[in-house]
Amino acid sequence: MTQLVDIILSLSLLSIIFSFGSSRLQGLIKALAFQGIVVSIVPFFMGHELSGGDIIFSLTTLLIRGIGIPLYLYSAIEKIAVHRELEPIIGYHGSILIGLLMVVAAMFVSRKINVPSASDSLLLLPTAMVLLSGGMFLMMARRKAITMVLGYMTMENGIYLVGTTFSVRAHHIVEFGVLLDVLAGVMIMAVILQNMKQGAEDPDMALNKISKE
Amino acid sequence: MVEILFLVPFLTGVLSFFLPSKPGRSMLVLTGAIHFVLTLVLWIIRPGALMPAYFMVTPEGLLSLSVISLLFLLISIYTTAYIESAHIRNEKVFIGSMLLFLSTMTMVTLSDHIMVMWIAIESTTLASAPLIYTSGSPKSLETTWKYVFICSVGIAMALLGSVLISLAVDAGGENVPMSFSALSAQAPRLDSMWLKAGFIFILVGYGTKMGLAPMHTWLPDAHSEAPSPVSALLSGVLLNCAYLGIFKTHKIMVSAGLADFSGTLLMAFGIVSILAAATFILKQGEYKRLLAYSSIENMGIIAFGTGLGGIGVYGAILCLIHHSLIKSSLFLTSGNILLGYGNRLIVQTGNLAGQMPKTFVAFFAGFVGISGFPPFGIFMGELLIIVGAFRTGHTIWAGIFIASLCIIVAGFVNQVMRISFDDAPKTVNFKEKARLIWPQFTLLATSVVLSFWIPDVVYLEIVNAVVSVGGGF
Repeated sequence: MTQLVDIILSLSLLSIIFSFGSSRLQGLIKALAFQGIVVSIVPFFMGHELSGGDIIFSLTTLLIRGIGIPLYLYSAIEKIAVHRELEPIIGYHGSILIGLLMVVAAMFVSRKINVPSASDSLLLLPTAMVLLSGGMFLMMARRKAITMVLGYMTMENGIYLVGTTFSVRAHHIVEFGVLLDVLAGVMIMAVILQNMKQGAEDPDMALNKISKE
Repeated sequence: MVEILFLVPFLTGVLSFFLPSKPGRSMLVLTGAIHFVLTLVLWIIRPGALMPAYFMVTPEGLLSLSVISLLFLLISIYTTAYIESAHIRNEKVFIGSMLLFLSTMTMVTLSDHIMVMWIAIESTTLASAPLIYTSGSPKSLETTWKYVFICSVGIAMALLGSVLISLAVDAGGENVPMSFSALSAQAPRLDSMWLKAGFIFILVGYGTKMGLAPMHTWLPDAHSEAPSPVSALLSGVLLNCAYLGIFKTHKIMVSAGLADFSGTLLMAFGIVSILAAATFILKQGEYKRLLAYSSIENMGIIAFGTGLGGIGVYGAILCLIHHSLIKSSLFLTSGNILLGYGNRLIVQTGNLAGQMPKTFVAFFAGFVGISGFPPFGIFMGELLIIVGAFRTGHTIWAGIFIASLCIIVAGFVNQVMRISFDDAPKTVNFKEKARLIWPQFTLLATSVVLSFWIPDVVYLEIVNAVVSVGGGF
């Protein structure tokens, strides 16, 4: 079972590296959806006792993170006809290298940290750390508002992974984490959608390339 | 049944989305008044919570709640007059969001559970976002985006911090409810490494919302772009709410014997914030941004005082209360200046003393208060913090603190003099209605009165709050 978890997690690590090197927003959203599905199903393989409520909750999370939000974002980029991130602050090759360094650093650091009630999975903690730092990296290294939202969601996936798998008593925290995603995520996206409407009227509207002062 | 305090504004807030303008405005003031009365009742009788696992009246919570309640009542009265003169795109949404904002902030002050606190602080962001995006301009859209995004990222950090604190409970092998009071009581038995990690994330997370540098970048934009009553609420009470999250976590750290660790971090973030404010305040060309940077400075002072411990915490709580009163009055006054001159730039203003005399008195008195001069309370707060810094042997920190305050006052004086006495580019035709003036005077007068006389019951609550984080005389 632990091996299976590690295989799934290794794929999600690869998806992060992929998202670092992708200029196409569709590709980024697919990577995000994949990560959302992975972090939602990992708790099933952890060997913790799951009540009926927990299972329903995990499945709801799967629907929201893995399918709902990515689909919503997908339709958003279709509407504004933005398909590529053309002027990243840090180039794609550089980003991939940084991603690889993140994975190596996370593997190294995670061996030194003693996590209570952790399973035997070798990749759980490193994946959570890479998702967290990777999300932050995407927010800093890209200019477009929509890519920043994707980075934010990636970071949220990392927090969800920490909450569901490491902590025995953090179930509430995780539940509310989903609430954060749904509320804050939708709020942010609503603001963007508003912008898109305005952007259609005013082609010079610069929010898609948000200023960072 | 303390939950009624946030349920009332929640219900009236939802109702306001469907009410026409005039009843909506009355609903705003009425809710403010009911909330204020309920808060006063809370001082006299202390009803328990319906959900005691999640809510509790704590000294620091009650103090913050009282400030919120008084401020909201006065700001709501000001708002009714402000809306008549200013352009608000969608008044129903504006009033409804204001009431929901009050509800979420009240929830922050009453929450005792680490997650309920987090949800409440997150909800304050969501409720206040429509308040910033009121003009419908691209600039206000960008500002709202910046506010929601940066605060959401910060709050996500705080979520991670909360998860890490739950890991501290697991690692300590304890079975403790995740409430602040239970965690503080059992703190010595929790795992210190995870507690430290959790505190760092919570400090960075809620610190973002509180406006501590270097996570403060949303604050000047949001305070400048929002309508003045909203700026007053953001600066006067929202920042306090975020501080409450840090304060309560610091309490756990103090009980766990990790006060040095969390205190030093608080002091460091505090000093960085004061320095950042001192750097940026000198070259500010907009008066609302000037006030926003002053808020960053004051949040820095409060964090610094809290981190110092001892008498510094008492000073920090005084600064917290008086900053709310004075800064919200200043933001309301800045609303009058904006209505009068129609411009946020300082160069487009002038001769305030001659053109808008009542507004000038409120503005100048507010400036005197926020700069830390007597008879306003910030003077005593800052003095106690400086004394506390010397007493605990932090002389270099105290030196930086005093030097930064001097620079900030110098920068402030320069701009205030220009606004007040320089030649005006145009003649202002602005009627200084009573509702646009006396809320500010009431706030300033409250600050002066509290400087000389604090009711015993309030003083006791301040002392209880101070002692709970290892402070005292």
